[in-house]
Amino acid sequence: MVLTIFSLGLFLIPAFIIRPFTHQSAIGLRIALFVKWIAPTLTLLALLGVLAIAWSLWQRSSWLLRSGIITSLLLCLASTVMVQQNYFEWMFNPIKAAGFVAPGDSHLDDKEMVMTVKIGPEARAYPIVQMAYHHILNDTVAGEPIVVTY
Amino acid sequence: MWKRTAQGRELHFYLAGINNQNFLMRDRETGSWWQQITGRAISGKLAGTSLESMPNDELTFGLWKAELSQEHALVLAPVAGHDKDYDKGWEAETEKYPVPLSFPGQGLKDRDVILGVQLGGQARAFPVTKVRGQTPVEDKISGVPLVIVTAPDGVSMRMFRSRWNGSDIELYRDTETDGQSTDEHKADGQSPAGQNTGGQSKDLRLLDSLGNTWNFSGCATSGPATGQCLEKINYVKDYWFDWKNYNPKTTVYSH
Repeated sequence: MVLTIFSLGLFLIPAFIIRPFTHQSAIGLRIALFVKWIAPTLTLLALLGVLAIAWSLWQRSSWLLRSGIITSLLLCLASTVMVQQNYFEWMFNPIKAAGFVAPGDSHLDDKEMVMTVKIGPEARAYPIVQMAYHHILNDTVAGEPIVVTY
Repeated sequence: MWKRTAQGRELHFYLAGINNQNFLMRDRETGSWWQQITGRAISGKLAGTSLESMPNDELTFGLWKAELSQEHALVLAPVAGHDKDYDKGWEAETEKYPVPLSFPGQGLKDRDVILGVQLGGQARAFPVTKVRGQTPVEDKISGVPLVIVTAPDGVSMRMFRSRWNGSDIELYRDTETDGQSTDEHKADGQSPAGQNTGGQSKDLRLLDSLGNTWNFSGCATSGPATGQCLEKINYVKDYWFDWKNYNPKTTVYSH
């Protein structure tokens, strides 16, 4: 039981602190990042712990206790999986393979805002309406690696 | 926009979290955590490293095209399947959410959009409503004279150091050509006179007292400075509360 709560905490604490549209203090962020760092290992250990306890208790357990054990196990498993995920990328879908077109082939309206960069002989435009959704794009322009963020 | 080479190594970034409405990103190479707004790594192997800023512009698509000459130009194409996600009303939607921090007292509302500049250790915020369309807006930060100009499209803005040949220059709008379209500047051979193209056929003309005419690229098209360009100053377009949070001592432009 204790292990389950501990394991869930490892996932929920950073998820709670780094939620959008709220303020994270510098200390809050440090805590969140630390918990995130130790979470994968600790959730695995907690899961093993719960499995071991479940194994030893199972034979002697009532139906009610067995349900409790199963629930604990599932929650621990969920937490172990979740700490490995980057759920921000679920929400915002990174650009996996950026495609580009010549300006004349673009359907973008002339009034749309673009972020532009000029390096050497290369000029590139990144529509803000797209960057506001994907947030990050790693690109290379005239040999210079850049990251476009919005 | 940042250069993504740090300590001689090319890094690949991905979205990893939100911190005060900016986001956190991590690099695949070291897993370090970086702050989007400052380009600084705040945790991990590269903690303390700062990315080099990549100078860029925010322009209308039409103006960017009009300014192209010999470059090999490309536009990011929409990712297939995401057309519905590219919501033009995203800014209005975001405004419905609560603001994480509030900084009253300097005459600005938290979500007022500002152009933020850092020069010589000083930070200043220019409210967009005060500077857009008010060409030229002149100011001085840490002894550096600057000018903010808006393109004829009424939206695109640039900031330059208003200094040439060792002296500060004052700039004025060329009232003789303002309001008239100049046929020799048609963009892509389209837009016949009479259509509302947001003024793409006009070019910005600024004069100084030394006989120079300067355009929206900050370059002199006539006068002794012909062919030379003013130094561009990079600014960050941000919400007031976010700029103030990262620049607590910032001043605010007011005239």
